[in-house]
Amino acid sequence: MLDAIRTKVEQSERLSFEEGVFLFRHPDVVAVGLLANQVRERLHGDRAYFNRNMRIEVTNVCVASCLFCSFARLEEGSPGAHTMKLEEAWGELEARMDDPPGEVHIVNGLHPGLPFSYYEDLLRGFKRIKPDVHMKCFTAVEIHFFAQHYGMSHREVLERLRAAGLDSLPGGGAEIFHPEVRARISHDKATADEYLEVHRVAHALGVRTNSTMLYGHIETFDHRVDHLLRLRALQDETSGMQAFIPLAFHPDGNEMRNLPAPTAIDALRTVAVSRLLLDNVPHIKAYWVSMTPEVAQIALRFGADDVDGTIVHETIYRAAGSRSPSGLTVDSLVRLIQEAGRIPVERDTLYNVVREHPRASLPEAALKVRDRNARRHLEVLS
Amino acid sequence: MTDTRLRVAAVGYLNARPLYEGLDREPASHRVRLDCATPSEVARRVAEDEADIALMPVAAAATIGDLRLVRGCAIGTRGPVRSVVLIGERPIEELGELAVDLSSRTSVVLARLILRARTRGREPRLVGMGPREAIAHVGEGRGALVIGDPALAIEGRFPHTLDLGLAWRELTGLPFVFAAWCGRPGALSADDERLLERAKAAGLERRSLIAADHAGRTGLPAASLEAYLDEAIRYELGDLERRGLERFYEDAAAAGLLPAARVRFYDEDRRAPAAPASLDGLLSRAAEGQRLSAAEGLRLGAEASLFDLGLAADAVRQRRHPEGVVTYIVDRNVNYTNVCTTNCRFCAFYRPLGHPEAWVLSREQLGQKLQEVKDAGGVQILLQGGLHPELRIGWYEDLFRWMKRTYGLGLHALSPEEILHIARLEGLPVRVVLERLRAAGLDSVPGGGAEILVDRVRRVIAKAKCTSEDWLGVMRVAHHMGLRSSATMMYGTVDTATDRVNHLVKLRELQDETGGFTAFFCWDFQHERGTKIEPGENGTVLYLRQQALARVMLDNIDHVGASWVTQGPEVGQVALRFGADDFGSVMFEENVVSSAGTTFCMNADTMESRIRAAGFKATRRNVHYEWLTPPA
Repeated sequence: MLDAIRTKVEQSERLSFEEGVFLFRHPDVVAVGLLANQVRERLHGDRAYFNRNMRIEVTNVCVASCLFCSFARLEEGSPGAHTMKLEEAWGELEARMDDPPGEVHIVNGLHPGLPFSYYEDLLRGFKRIKPDVHMKCFTAVEIHFFAQHYGMSHREVLERLRAAGLDSLPGGGAEIFHPEVRARISHDKATADEYLEVHRVAHALGVRTNSTMLYGHIETFDHRVDHLLRLRALQDETSGMQAFIPLAFHPDGNEMRNLPAPTAIDALRTVAVSRLLLDNVPHIKAYWVSMTPEVAQIALRFGADDVDGTIVHETIYRAAGSRSPSGLTVDSLVRLIQEAGRIPVERDTLYNVVREHPRASLPEAALKVRDRNARRHLEVLS
Repeated sequence: MTDTRLRVAAVGYLNARPLYEGLDREPASHRVRLDCATPSEVARRVAEDEADIALMPVAAAATIGDLRLVRGCAIGTRGPVRSVVLIGERPIEELGELAVDLSSRTSVVLARLILRARTRGREPRLVGMGPREAIAHVGEGRGALVIGDPALAIEGRFPHTLDLGLAWRELTGLPFVFAAWCGRPGALSADDERLLERAKAAGLERRSLIAADHAGRTGLPAASLEAYLDEAIRYELGDLERRGLERFYEDAAAAGLLPAARVRFYDEDRRAPAAPASLDGLLSRAAEGQRLSAAEGLRLGAEASLFDLGLAADAVRQRRHPEGVVTYIVDRNVNYTNVCTTNCRFCAFYRPLGHPEAWVLSREQLGQKLQEVKDAGGVQILLQGGLHPELRIGWYEDLFRWMKRTYGLGLHALSPEEILHIARLEGLPVRVVLERLRAAGLDSVPGGGAEILVDRVRRVIAKAKCTSEDWLGVMRVAHHMGLRSSATMMYGTVDTATDRVNHLVKLRELQDETGGFTAFFCWDFQHERGTKIEPGENGTVLYLRQQALARVMLDNIDHVGASWVTQGPEVGQVALRFGADDFGSVMFEENVVSSAGTTFCMNADTMESRIRAAGFKATRRNVHYEWLTPPA
């Protein structure tokens, strides 16, 4: 079957559900990676993208009770629960204005006690500080929650937020679409159809989005392929998705802590099969926070063409026991990509090129790495 | 002022003198810097770019790869050569064992080809030893390959002698070339070549003087030596000799004894540049497990993609280990002391004697660690220390006996550097030290301290450490005694891609001789607090490339292990798809790398689940890579 798939890939033909499952099951991850790499190089050559971004989580108070989450605290006032004052959130950007990020990425818990104006004010405040900053905020799950909680349609929510400064949506909250899984791990938030509908509406408004998949817990390969094909169908309809980001489940501190974390091989396989199945999504992201910077490097040869950005201060994966650093400098990201033998391209959120860095002058991966302040050789922001 | 003279190296044997004598005299001497050395040293100088051109045995030239030859000059023969012979008390074809001087790879390969042809593949077992020892070894069923002066000295003494020059002629109808002037492409100008030709012409005129001089030094009859230089040895390298050499290379490559090599002259390059071989062809040869030259390894390392290397290495792994099983060992790395006198610049672990943080483990401390290993179902202790200036061999012997008696665990102990240190401290030969330690309980020797087996690199990163030859020498002795060992490489300091390939070739050559290495592990220099050297070429992708390259280059070492301790469990797991069939140790503790800041931990369950997630079955092993549990 691999030969048949190889032929289809070479001729840019669409792969089927069965072929997707076959690729996930195939024991030789390098052979699958090689196919994905062909597609990746056809689309992007040797370029590998990153951006200057910062992540802010303004509240971890959340009405949902997802089993995989180590971040959310159910109620305001419970131990560890925290909601930022607006000034506190804006302060995060103000503190970085000497070397400002191009993108602010905000993802939150589903807080039942804040007025909708909090979010509008939040966006406006960031735009006041830096009018050209790109606000990539609120997952489809949050948008759906806003619609229900504040009694608006998805469209109304998105239009009001856009008027306040929203530029695009991040891809979080997709988890696993299939009801067999979703009903068990995140029963009390947006369903698959609701998640996809928010993206559909956003795309119709010209708001670009990303999408994700949380893999490596109780789902099967069939569920993963089902998930990817639902995204592919939506993209056929709207073409509004920029990037797909596979997210590895991390088990520390949540209700699924008895499960093992997916391994590096699974991370690479998922990147590769995603690249092969999502033939209509331009970018596949090796999110270094989820898979560690080292595996993200390898993933740049297994189908991924993006490593996300500098992040600065990630807390959701940290809470789940991720050993990745909480932020990386631009220099570190450039080096990470150069080491993997790719050309580092700094982009903005919409994939416009900001700056193309040189390829490493030495052969693939053979270059001087001087800073090993982190556990490995990548420099961590303090 | 820098010396811009042509750096020439030659083997200082009698039959080579007519070719190089004269290069150190006027008028050539102001253009040439001539050094004579052993065959392996001559080859090393070209491999490590310390010589431009060398009068080198042809097997070494094939191993380095992509060299050019000087047309017209060689040491060869068209019939009986007299100085390369097999001897025995019985017909040579009936020998069960052959003592060989392993420093002469060309003659050994020639002998093996001839014997294979004459015995229809039923080769005698080879045992490496020095020439005198080899001659004394001859007896019932035991023969010897004798080379050079000792061969001339024993002419006619044994009832059965096979002259390998004559045997080659009879087998192929072609001349044989033993050595030729070899160097890197472009290293020699047409003028330089004329210099070598003139030296040869002058040397041939002086053959009777050379013979007389050699007779005076060795006591061999001058007339016999003169006849040897005049008649047995031919100094031509024309079309016929070239065909003989090409045939030798073809047969040796087909037998897996040498990398495939072609014969190309400097003057051909000057007429038209050589077309490079295709990278795809090289990759498929690598995947098929054919022997690669150093030049070919270097090219793969520089030009092949990560995938190509990974797939080739995975193919080699799969052919060697078709069961789809990845092994690991439950053992414990115990450092008995952190006192060390070598001051390696890459090490954050050692302390000088008398330092407030210096320690030697007590029996109580050791006992506790060993008991924990036993309780966890462990099978061995990896015991290493620093080079402690006051611990004598008796201390180690007592320790080993106590450990064996009390805990009965396998003892994988003392890297070559430590064994040499004990030998120096006691004034004993390495063999005696190893024999005493083995009698006390030593089971196998860890391959640590190899770093990069290129002395230019070792001098920078570990000035006080043993030379490459010393390190390999300890392993040679250990292997010949029947002790197995692992082989390692630590790269990523001042080493270059060429150094790393040369390291692999040196391990491969020793393995050809002894077969004593069980496995190869590599990792990059872990630069953290306390180390005093800047990191060089390293990184995750380079690690995978390096391990994959090692798998395809080391065609005679059974196992390759992934170093998850340095690369992390994630990359370690991925490395299982880049040529590794072993996942190393479950880690109780590890002090050296962790003192440089790298700390990872994995227990047996996690190791097994990672192995399975990579698509393999997992099993525990012992130091000999024997399975201790059914793979699952």
